[in-house]
Amino acid sequence: MRGQKQLMLMSLPILIYVALFSYYPIWGWTMAFQNYKPARSFAQQEWVGFKQFKFLFSDDTFLGVLRNTIGMSLINMVSGFVTAIVFAILLNEIKHKLYKRSIQTISYLPHFLSWIIVTGIVANSLSVDDGIVNTVLMKLGLIHSPVLWLSEPHYFWGIVGASHVWKEIGWNAIIYLAAITSIDPSLYEAAEIDGANRYHKMLYITLPGIRSIVVILLIMNLGWILEAGFEVQYLLGNGVVIDWSQTIDIFVLKYGLQVGNYSLATAAGIFKTVVSITLIVAANTIAKRFGEDRLI
Amino acid sequence: MGVTSKKKLWASFSLILALCLAIVGCSGGNNGKGTADQSDSSAGSGSGASASDDTKPITISAFISTPNQQPTPDNRIYKKIKDELGVTLNMEFLVGDLQQKLGVMIAGGDYPDLITADPKLVSAGAVIPLEDLIDKYAPHLKEHYAKYWNRMKDPSDAHIYWLPNYGAYTGDVHINYYSGPAFWIQKDVLKEAGYPTPKTLDDYIKLISDYAAKHPTTPDGQPTIGFTTLAYDWRTFPLLNAPEHLTGHPNDGGVVVDNGVASVFADKDIAKRYYKVLNGLYNNGLMDKEAFVQNYDQYLAKISSGRVLGMFDQHWNFQPAEDTLISQNKIGQTYVGFPLTYDSSIKDYYLDRPVINLNNGFGISVDAKDPVRIIKFLDALMDEKYQKLLSWGEEGVDYEVGKDGKFYRTPEQRKQQEDPTWKLANRADGFYGAAPKMEGTYSDGNATDPGSQPEEFYESLKPQDKELLAAYKHKTWTDFFSPPPENPVYYPAWQVDLIDGSDASVASKKMNDASLKFLPKAVMSKPDQFDSVWNEYVDAYGKIDVKAYEDRINDQIQWRIKNWSNN
Repeated sequence: MRGQKQLMLMSLPILIYVALFSYYPIWGWTMAFQNYKPARSFAQQEWVGFKQFKFLFSDDTFLGVLRNTIGMSLINMVSGFVTAIVFAILLNEIKHKLYKRSIQTISYLPHFLSWIIVTGIVANSLSVDDGIVNTVLMKLGLIHSPVLWLSEPHYFWGIVGASHVWKEIGWNAIIYLAAITSIDPSLYEAAEIDGANRYHKMLYITLPGIRSIVVILLIMNLGWILEAGFEVQYLLGNGVVIDWSQTIDIFVLKYGLQVGNYSLATAAGIFKTVVSITLIVAANTIAKRFGEDRLI
Repeated sequence: MGVTSKKKLWASFSLILALCLAIVGCSGGNNGKGTADQSDSSAGSGSGASASDDTKPITISAFISTPNQQPTPDNRIYKKIKDELGVTLNMEFLVGDLQQKLGVMIAGGDYPDLITADPKLVSAGAVIPLEDLIDKYAPHLKEHYAKYWNRMKDPSDAHIYWLPNYGAYTGDVHINYYSGPAFWIQKDVLKEAGYPTPKTLDDYIKLISDYAAKHPTTPDGQPTIGFTTLAYDWRTFPLLNAPEHLTGHPNDGGVVVDNGVASVFADKDIAKRYYKVLNGLYNNGLMDKEAFVQNYDQYLAKISSGRVLGMFDQHWNFQPAEDTLISQNKIGQTYVGFPLTYDSSIKDYYLDRPVINLNNGFGISVDAKDPVRIIKFLDALMDEKYQKLLSWGEEGVDYEVGKDGKFYRTPEQRKQQEDPTWKLANRADGFYGAAPKMEGTYSDGNATDPGSQPEEFYESLKPQDKELLAAYKHKTWTDFFSPPPENPVYYPAWQVDLIDGSDASVASKKMNDASLKFLPKAVMSKPDQFDSVWNEYVDAYGKIDVKAYEDRINDQIQWRIKNWSNN
């Protein structure tokens, strides 16, 4: 206790910060059980119990919305993970410094573009009017007439996933590249003496070497499973694909914020939080079973 | 640990503590201030009155609901306003979705002084009642709105919250330019066909398909698009509103009103007939394939390229694209609107008599420090001197005065007015669009804007336009339309506020979703599948509480008939 006094003092500001900006706002959750009207005091609000949650779960589009959110989120997570790890390992094998650096720079630059620009690029490439995707596929003879990619409901998830990969692959790879550099070089030397080729080394040294980072990132990312994003789906979506493009956030925007029903938006927020916490705890427990490093 | 280091530790700790306190203090303080302000200004003008000083420089912040561009910092007109009235305008224009922006504003409780009209803001208590302020401090505004006073009262509490920006007329009204809904067709198409007058949808389609067959590409080599539409964000009327006009109803939005009873038409046979025609167009390759996936910018870009032969829309909605065409001198690719109907026995009702534009314009927010000064400023702008400045510009610079006292522009001045970049430095359109304005005729007999001045209107026409109007023996663009009958008292139903969060507004959202999902599907289906897609649509529509929506509108129509009749 005595020896920790300074440390405790130092962590005090952080505690206050968290209490103020993370715990105090939870008070706002009361809105979910009211028929909240702005500019009225707390005492003047009308309490409605679970009405907002009932609306949310009884609305027949909400199940579809939930499916889209989880579906797109899983696609983004898995494809983002796999591509970034593969990309990092392959990049690590390149010995030519300048070449490696340029590839890395080019691959992570799209991360700094905003989604509105990225979706603009995506929409243009997928256009039936001289869009690059249709042009290339036509020249290759794979399709005979241009495909209206953005008005086919079943392509939508794929398009969103691909856009995510394109935008984030380089950025996500950075942390794996960093983890790879911390692997002891003598392991590679020993493997070489034992006759391991390049692929053996990737498979039996590099991959296991970054396993703990992968698990921790996976656990952290699971917490965001209901955050499939809002911008991509909002900007690329249209009426025709709405059954497959609408996520919780868009639903909340339309039936919560746009019609002034803030309580519904809060209820959806609570739902998302509860699911996220459950998933994190579950993933953490599983990691513990497998004897891996854990987050908490 | 020595004494000195302990002291240092304490010093840094107290610093951190002070910082934390400051953060807590600030956030708490803000809350307190917010509520204090609210009660203060909603109480009216009491304390504000003494604080007002009419010439003291003041900055008024304003949020404007249209996506304009910011004027240049040295803009000539805003500078004149600043010099003469002491008011600097700090304007924020809409980026993205309006309802979302307002939702965030309300959730945060932080408003600019002048705020764009929306019923949502009234129910959130974001704006102050204006009638007392106008009575006391704004004689010009009082006179300007005298005829419309009752209509401006909010149906819920009979207060006036908004100063409508359009629709309050004085003197003679000349409407030469048509900005409303119509089926638009390129002037070149008409010219080539020898200036026919399409009356029905079939005539119109024939004109377009004949022209497209002869001209598969534009002069600069891009493929021609026969017909396009737009269904993006809130701009869904190009896709959804055509059926009501084709059946001879005026623009009531999502309903047609017969004998004072409103009913939704989106899933009825009158709508089916129209989308069946679009389906035919689509399968003949005349309909824009990307019509339903494009956003507003792509729509405008497509029209400004001159490739689109026709569309159903309101003129103001694609105006920016037409401005681009004019500045490139592609007059043949600009448009003429026709009031089509299903068959020629139906009388067209596209052109309507001007109505006061309720739920539009400006209100004063509860956060405004000095509402009296703001209302006085808006009142000062209602002086004809400033109205002329905002609408015509400066005498000798933007327009000339003839010997007979009539305003006109020289050809160079007209040319300038077509340049969007020049306008940002020399016009105050962003603010003027949302501000209360005189329309009709000034006391000196001049029209309130150059487009309404008959001589100036005719002189400003391009040679191609003069030729076209002469061929039809018309004088103005509104001559293509039947003269409108007297407006029904309740007109127009699209102005009815559905009330946030009510069953009616939820139903309206769902109806919109269903239409945007199924109509494109129906239009893009094979001809023999059209009926089955349509039936799916009708089924989906049947699951929505359409009655809640219709009831709210009918309720308001009855309310208007009762309260507005004696106005």
